[in-house]
Amino acid sequence: MSVATPKLEIRNLSKRFHTPKGTVNVLDDISINAAAGEFVSIIGPSGCGKSTLFNILTGLLEHDSGTILLDGKPQTNLRGRVGYMLQRDLLMPWRTVLDNVLVGLELRGTPRAESVELAREYLHTFGLLPFQDSYPKALSGGMRQRAALARTLLPDPDILLLDEPFSALDYQTRLFLEGMLADTVTQKGKTVILVTHDIDEAIALSERIFVLSARPGRLKSEHRITLDTRSPLEARHDSRFSAYFDLLCQELDIQTAHA
Amino acid sequence: MSQSSSSATVSAPAPADSAPVPALARAPRLPPVWLAQLLIVVLLFAAWEFAVRQGAVSAFLFGSPSGTAQAAWNLIVSGELWVHANYTLWASAAGFVVGTVIGTIPGLALWYSPYGAKVVEPFLVAINSVPKIAFAPLVILWFGTGVISKVALSVSLTAIVALLAAFQAAKDADPDIQRMLVSLGATKRQIFTKVVVPSATPYIISTFRINIGFALVGTVVGEFISSKYGLGHVIFVASSLYDLNTVWVGIFSLMALGFVLYAGVDVAEKRLLRWKDQTDATNFKL
Repeated sequence: MSVATPKLEIRNLSKRFHTPKGTVNVLDDISINAAAGEFVSIIGPSGCGKSTLFNILTGLLEHDSGTILLDGKPQTNLRGRVGYMLQRDLLMPWRTVLDNVLVGLELRGTPRAESVELAREYLHTFGLLPFQDSYPKALSGGMRQRAALARTLLPDPDILLLDEPFSALDYQTRLFLEGMLADTVTQKGKTVILVTHDIDEAIALSERIFVLSARPGRLKSEHRITLDTRSPLEARHDSRFSAYFDLLCQELDIQTAHA
Repeated sequence: MSQSSSSATVSAPAPADSAPVPALARAPRLPPVWLAQLLIVVLLFAAWEFAVRQGAVSAFLFGSPSGTAQAAWNLIVSGELWVHANYTLWASAAGFVVGTVIGTIPGLALWYSPYGAKVVEPFLVAINSVPKIAFAPLVILWFGTGVISKVALSVSLTAIVALLAAFQAAKDADPDIQRMLVSLGATKRQIFTKVVVPSATPYIISTFRINIGFALVGTVVGEFISSKYGLGHVIFVASSLYDLNTVWVGIFSLMALGFVLYAGVDVAEKRLLRWKDQTDATNFKL
């Protein structure tokens, strides 16, 4: 590891939920970090607290203990400084595609005239410019998720938190969007934390992968992925890809055919 | 790229025009909907008229289409029908608008305070479960026999419905969209104006339809109890004189008013909800 301060560092983060049935440990002493411009993934079985972690980072939940550091400075949460993208596109059906993409800047009070031009650039990049005045109902699932990606990127967040953003899409659309995501974040130098069930996707996109255990979510292992390409499609043809795949399957206790 | 490939390559044979289309979309030939509707109306009135002329049905107790038409003509010529219909239209429209506004705004505002909402909810349910028409004599006592009491009655019927609907709609606003906006730094007020209000709008508008009926009920009941004008007054007076034809004129006029008001809601809905998916299952062949 380099000596540079990580863009985002999470130290010893724990979260318990108090329910009528007792206390549930959801996150137990999680420490992860991401360097500026790095693409890291978090994988783990259902219930490992991946979504809880994101809810804490976005300030929707409070953690019990631990520290969140942004550029080395402690933060209670990262509200307003992160782009958050879910499996659901969360486009507002009453807004046109353009107005959906603009919402982040609108919340900050940026004058519309200023933000429209930038929004149109993103829409152009993502092939959505002809649909800027359409309502989301007219768009396909892949187009909607592209619009969601544009909405996430437009406010220029330091960090992107992606919570299984492509898992509802068909395989071809997913590959296409993965490529588009990889290109964009590399070009804009964004730090990305991707949460996914999809080992394949995690390897293809990430530079490092954190594996969490089932509840309570603990950091099980960390893997640096070294492939010759940043293209998610080509990554899948890399000779080392299947070795990583098998390794991570073992970590997650998934039985592969030739294990 | 795609243009060149479509013209240059051999590709699949284009479907010949003469080829018979498989009988997928061959709907049975039905008369236009308006014609079927007209036919039903004509048949109903013809049967009614016929039954009265044959003496099978008492004209005294049921009136007749020809008698009703005559009564309508008399009321139109004297200008009375217009005066009464106008009175009922404006009283119920005012009651509808006031009731909707004073119901919808607090209903949405309850979203702001989950605690306040929990406190008032049983009261709202209690008020809603009372047949509000039972308030009618009180309202006449408080507001007199003029137009204000009719408006007040319509308000008492519509406001609570609008309030409960708006509150429910506000509660149903998509929590994931709210979370997404919070992560972008939205304030509670921004969540309210940018998510809660627009997402509640379709429900609020669909409540308009129910409330148009309630507003008319409130006004007409007020006119029954004590009034000098209004279609309710016309119906009430005519029925006490056993003038059934005039009663029918009042009823059909109320129907027409309802139609006009409903059409207004349809226009509002189409304008405000262009974003909404208007697909409905009746368009499919099942």
